[in-house]
Amino acid sequence: MKPLFKNTTAIQLYLYAALLLSFIGSIFFINFNYGFYDQPIVKITEAEITETRELTDMYGNEDALYTQQLEGEIRNGEHKGEGIKLENEYSLSGANDHEYRVGQDLFVVIDGAAEDGTVLSGTIDNVKRDKYILAMTWIFVFVLLIIGKKQGFYSIVSLALNAVILSYALDVYVRTENASLLLIAGVSVLLFTITSLLLVNGFNDKTYTAIVSTILGVFVALLLAFFAIWTSGGNGLNYEEMQFLSRPYEVVFMAGLFIGSLGAVMDVGITMSASIFTLYEKNPNISIQSMKKSGIDIGKDIMGTMANILFFVYISGSIPMLLLYLSNGADWPFTFSINLSLEIARALAGGLGIVLTIPIGIYTSIFFIKRKKAVQ
Amino acid sequence: MNVLIILAIMLCMSMVMIGGKKGAISFLSLFINFLVLLFTVFMMANPDNNALVWVIIACFIISCVNLFFINGINSTTIAAFVSTVITMIVLLFFIYFMTDLTMISGFGEEEVDELSMFSLYIGISFVELAAVVIIISTIGAITDIAISITSPMREVYFHNPGISRSELIHAGFAIGRDLLGTSTNTLFFAFFGSYLGLLIWFKDLSYSLGDIVNSKIFAAEMITILCAGIGIALVIPISSWITAYLLTRVRVLR
Repeated sequence: MKPLFKNTTAIQLYLYAALLLSFIGSIFFINFNYGFYDQPIVKITEAEITETRELTDMYGNEDALYTQQLEGEIRNGEHKGEGIKLENEYSLSGANDHEYRVGQDLFVVIDGAAEDGTVLSGTIDNVKRDKYILAMTWIFVFVLLIIGKKQGFYSIVSLALNAVILSYALDVYVRTENASLLLIAGVSVLLFTITSLLLVNGFNDKTYTAIVSTILGVFVALLLAFFAIWTSGGNGLNYEEMQFLSRPYEVVFMAGLFIGSLGAVMDVGITMSASIFTLYEKNPNISIQSMKKSGIDIGKDIMGTMANILFFVYISGSIPMLLLYLSNGADWPFTFSINLSLEIARALAGGLGIVLTIPIGIYTSIFFIKRKKAVQ
Repeated sequence: MNVLIILAIMLCMSMVMIGGKKGAISFLSLFINFLVLLFTVFMMANPDNNALVWVIIACFIISCVNLFFINGINSTTIAAFVSTVITMIVLLFFIYFMTDLTMISGFGEEEVDELSMFSLYIGISFVELAAVVIIISTIGAITDIAISITSPMREVYFHNPGISRSELIHAGFAIGRDLLGTSTNTLFFAFFGSYLGLLIWFKDLSYSLGDIVNSKIFAAEMITILCAGIGIALVIPISSWITAYLLTRVRVLR
């Protein structure tokens, strides 16, 4: 135990204790929170496959269907403690169904007594996933803290803070009539940038420079995306497959583009300002020309990989949908134009933000350095 | 004119103007990665091919493109390549286990309504696909951190040739930790941006907290974000150890 407690201050000890307590408390709560749900929850005690059926659909895809008889115990509500029988049908591929196992918790709708009258019967509605989400969150927190220590802690705080800001901003949007999503996204982008960069890099000139160049970078990227859509009349963007729309799709798409590219642009902004300021601090007499040249050299090295990061995040989510289309006999050009146009547009616009933030970052840093020199 | 073509031309022009030859290579790498991804999807469309095997092959090729094509073949990129592939494989097992456990695979009930015209029994395992989606979404970030750790570590080693292996590992950890904040932000915001429509949808339909947390779609997005964060953190020790091992091994051989 010695190395763990060496160099630890009282504050750190309190932090560890608070962490451990909330870990134990939340795990305990999530495993016994059945009473907080109105819908009946069933814990499966027995699962048995009663029927197996091979199946080929009209496109020649081979699959198998299984029927599962489940027995379980109701954990909440008026039937608490009673047994229940459920039936579940699932496929081998599992696009919209699952095989359930003993020990899992399911939300059900109780239909009444089963045929033999001894126990209740019901229909499965959903899986109780809250405990998995919580367990995963804790794994994430511990991995980041163990590997990243202080920086890991700041990353977690920054994620949580930004999620709260986003949630609040969307609340304002949903509650206010005629609110402009782009305006709200713009204000949130400002807040996101300031909180994230201050948390990552602290209060100093590099951070202020990075904040200014990030905000300029995303706005320029957004303007160019607008320009591209305006000149082409939106031709080539297929909004049909955009899911979960309760609002005008173009605005949701643009706001998503705006927020989505922010992280990458921030990364470039802080890299540029930190490296140029470091050059200046090492040699205060460095010429503007050589600062520009080093800046461009650094920018060249990062732009390819940064653009690739965004590309993969955006495109990956479409893979299941692409496969569903292809397996259902859709041809390639149709499948891609329907499913990938928005994602590719997002990736390209984000890439544009990344690349343009390189010169923006260089000139902003030089501007701040010049001002600093003038003050001295 | 097509929006995608205009954006692609604008991106290509700005990359070449700012980055010169390296900018052109960067743009080309995006295009090649796109083709690799399409090829992987094509292979996965055949139910006889295991999606997990093909995603490992895809990760292999993509990290080759991101590391060797953009940065050239040298000891730094080789170390980064080995670290990326090992991290991906470790992460893949973890993600597959988690997606299977949390049952986030396949389409959510909100999505299925729109898919009524499709046959959903296509013989491709959606549990594997869920893992594929998460792993592909992190590959760009993981190669980026791997190269950003190995390259300064080599500098450290060249400036202090007598440095011990454990000191070198320590240096790698310090470099990685400094990258952690910005890299996790890059991914988080990209995910926030993609899920914006969904979040507004939840608020508009006044889902309760319980509904949101237990719904398949939200759980899937949440697990994706968390797995991506874990992947970014994991690549730090893995690349530090591997780079330190590869750099000091040469010395031992001498």
